[in-house]
Amino acid sequence: MALIEARGLTKEFRIFHRREGVAGAFRDLFLRDYKTLTAVNGIDFLVDEGEMVGYIGANGAGKSTTIKMLTGILVPTGGTVVVDGYVPYKDREIYTKRIGVVFGQRSQLWWDIAVIESFKLLRRIYDVPQQEFERRLKMIDDILELSGFLHLPVRKLSLGQRMRCDLAAALLHNPAILFLDEPTIGLDVLAKAKIREFLKEINTEYKTTVILTTHDLGDIEALCPRVAIIDKGKMLYDGSVEGLYSQWGHDKLDDIVKRIYQGQRPQLGFSGTGGDDLVQ
Amino acid sequence: MKFMGGLQRSVSRHLYIFFYYTAQYIKTKMAYRADFFIYVFSDLLLQSVNLIFILVVFTKVPAIKGWTRDQVLFIYGFFLIPFAVYSGFLNHLFDVPEKYVLEGELDRILVRPLNAWYQVVVETMNPELLVGAPAGVAIMIYSGRAMGLVWTWWDIPLAIVLIFGATMIYAGVYTFLASLGFWTEGNIGLMPMVYNLSNYGRYPMTVYRGPVRFILTWVLPFAFVGFYPSTLLMHRYDFAWYALLTPVIGIISFTIAYRVWVAGIRRYRGTGS
Amino acid sequence: MSNKRRYGEFGACIRNRAMLYIELVRMEFVNNLAYRSSYFTGIFNYTIQIGAYFFLWDAIYTGRKMLGGLNKEEMITYVIVAWVVRSFYFSNLDRRVAVEIRDGKIALELIRPYNYQMVKYARAFGEAIFRVLFFALPAGIAIYLIRPFGLPSWQNGLIFLLTLAGSFMINAQISMIAGFLAFFTQSTSGIYRAKRVIMDLFSGLLLPISFYPAWARDIIKFFPFQAVSYMPNLIYLGKLSGLAALKVVFLQLFWIAVLGLVAIWFWRFAVKHVVIQGG
Repeated sequence: MALIEARGLTKEFRIFHRREGVAGAFRDLFLRDYKTLTAVNGIDFLVDEGEMVGYIGANGAGKSTTIKMLTGILVPTGGTVVVDGYVPYKDREIYTKRIGVVFGQRSQLWWDIAVIESFKLLRRIYDVPQQEFERRLKMIDDILELSGFLHLPVRKLSLGQRMRCDLAAALLHNPAILFLDEPTIGLDVLAKAKIREFLKEINTEYKTTVILTTHDLGDIEALCPRVAIIDKGKMLYDGSVEGLYSQWGHDKLDDIVKRIYQGQRPQLGFSGTGGDDLVQ
Repeated sequence: MKFMGGLQRSVSRHLYIFFYYTAQYIKTKMAYRADFFIYVFSDLLLQSVNLIFILVVFTKVPAIKGWTRDQVLFIYGFFLIPFAVYSGFLNHLFDVPEKYVLEGELDRILVRPLNAWYQVVVETMNPELLVGAPAGVAIMIYSGRAMGLVWTWWDIPLAIVLIFGATMIYAGVYTFLASLGFWTEGNIGLMPMVYNLSNYGRYPMTVYRGPVRFILTWVLPFAFVGFYPSTLLMHRYDFAWYALLTPVIGIISFTIAYRVWVAGIRRYRGTGS
Repeated sequence: MSNKRRYGEFGACIRNRAMLYIELVRMEFVNNLAYRSSYFTGIFNYTIQIGAYFFLWDAIYTGRKMLGGLNKEEMITYVIVAWVVRSFYFSNLDRRVAVEIRDGKIALELIRPYNYQMVKYARAFGEAIFRVLFFALPAGIAIYLIRPFGLPSWQNGLIFLLTLAGSFMINAQISMIAGFLAFFTQSTSGIYRAKRVIMDLFSGLLLPISFYPAWARDIIKFFPFQAVSYMPNLIYLGKLSGLAALKVVFLQLFWIAVLGLVAIWFWRFAVKHVVIQGG
């Protein structure tokens, strides 16, 4: 059985037109003008332990919605999802101990307190034994080199430093799966390289499964043998990066993805292998 | 046994997290010590406006509808105690519609293995505002003595139960209002209105006319956060049944509100807002 | 250059400035119009506040004719007028100024070719006009329909309206000075609350000043606060009329001048502070 097993995963949003004023707000409470928007449309997504999967798609394609369903934030409208034996949205308070989540756009750390204090608090929230905590922190610090700013409050950190801390925070409890939503957004070349190096290390040393969404295809090229492409809620491609090259003829990944986003399809046999060939 | 062990672990984890948050909170506030004390002092000052109002009015009249100065002060003193708990821990539930729902901060809460309501409360608390509680106790002792009140041993457990009930009413009302944010997806400005209404609870209900008294007793039960329970503690028994209802009303309102909260979270996780 | 021409330029300059401030008033007015929905909940809010004091005073007066020189009917009129008028002169100036100082944005204001305080007053005035039209007047009429209250004689009514301008200005200046206190503490909400307590108690909003003991009245006399609410209300009620009412107008002018000087002094200090410490 795969570690992440999502089948026919669907998420529909009902978006509504908001009326004006307080009277409108009260009317909106009872009667709303809805449209249905299918953000994720029946995707199958299977990931094995120790895999590293890049999950890409244009803005609004359904990436974040998928991640939010896999992390238990959102409840799917349709389909099934089982991760590590848990149904994320049902077993949220237990399940979330098994995962780490980093939102590139939003820090998980406490703004005004020193980074190390945030970590200590997370140790309690995730129930990590003291020795285990110290061991993990040292291991993470060895690669990410956090010690220089562990005693600063988060608001004083640069974006790169903050992201390194956020990554560390998501890994202190040794999660089986790490979800990263645009972890390299806004970072400079050096910071990106450091984070990539770290993810690779975590993945090979600890067999941590990594799912990452990104707009920087450099992340994919550097890290992920497997790539999943989502567009308008549908899974367009799920397979090896190599497979993508061979389907489109040898080209640059940037160009291929740009064409896919534009709605072009390769000459023959573009069906996406569905990931099943990677899964036993 | 295993269940008890798990429960104990869970309770101690929640307590630890609470104290950790408190410690961090104090640490950050102590970085701007003078400002912190100005903030706390100004809060006490704000509360004292009503006290001054009462004191000045009673220089002109001996009683208001049969309630003497000391009795009104006693009610006011009791009111301050659950109000302090509310200010310290529940006041910022009004951040929920904007900050947590609209701006999506709830995502961060939901990926942590801890109760969501608890997380919001400890994240937004201002525990220093508990200083209102000792002030309230002092006013109760002063006015109790002035009216020649003889305390008995059961006053203390009774007071604790009544304060607990009153606090639960605050928790219930504000959790309910915060939960509406899951549907309105943004603030509709009910909180300040309800806040002003809660201030009605610090005067004898006999001041108000029928419908207002009914609303304060059965709809937004702020009569139970000050007036009713304090009459029992000053050993005036004409509202004893209402007073004894305080914990019941508290538990009922918080239970209802928490269910609405859970439904709201479910809705949020359905829409992602 | 002839003197005449020079005066002409000076006049044009004044006119331009005036146009700027009028434009700011207009802008703030339109701005508030866009967020008018929040005012509807505000009306409920005031209703609850006025309601609380209405019930209280009603109860306090049971079995009594006169308290602090006012009978029950006058007291209820006093409370309603005080709160409705407050919705006009009230402003967030203190908060705005304090936050600009705390966040260092005040430095940006120094590079603009206008008078900082005048800009703030103009915007507050724009908001006040909005509040009169969309808040104070409708609320006053609504309350009158629900529970009629006393109306002033026309002479007193006119002087009352005149003193409202003074109430606005004095309250705005006090708020401005309170805002400047943010140079001394980061706790803007502390400043804001302290000012609110002082204004609520000593302007006569919650209690007519005549209710206070003599020693307290003697102290309050030396401050501008009671010229904001208490004195205009007495004019409305006809307790002060004729020469005594006009005296209130002059008292207000006196305080506007004094507070203006204090505010300028603070502003000078502020500029020096910003220039030396970079905000």
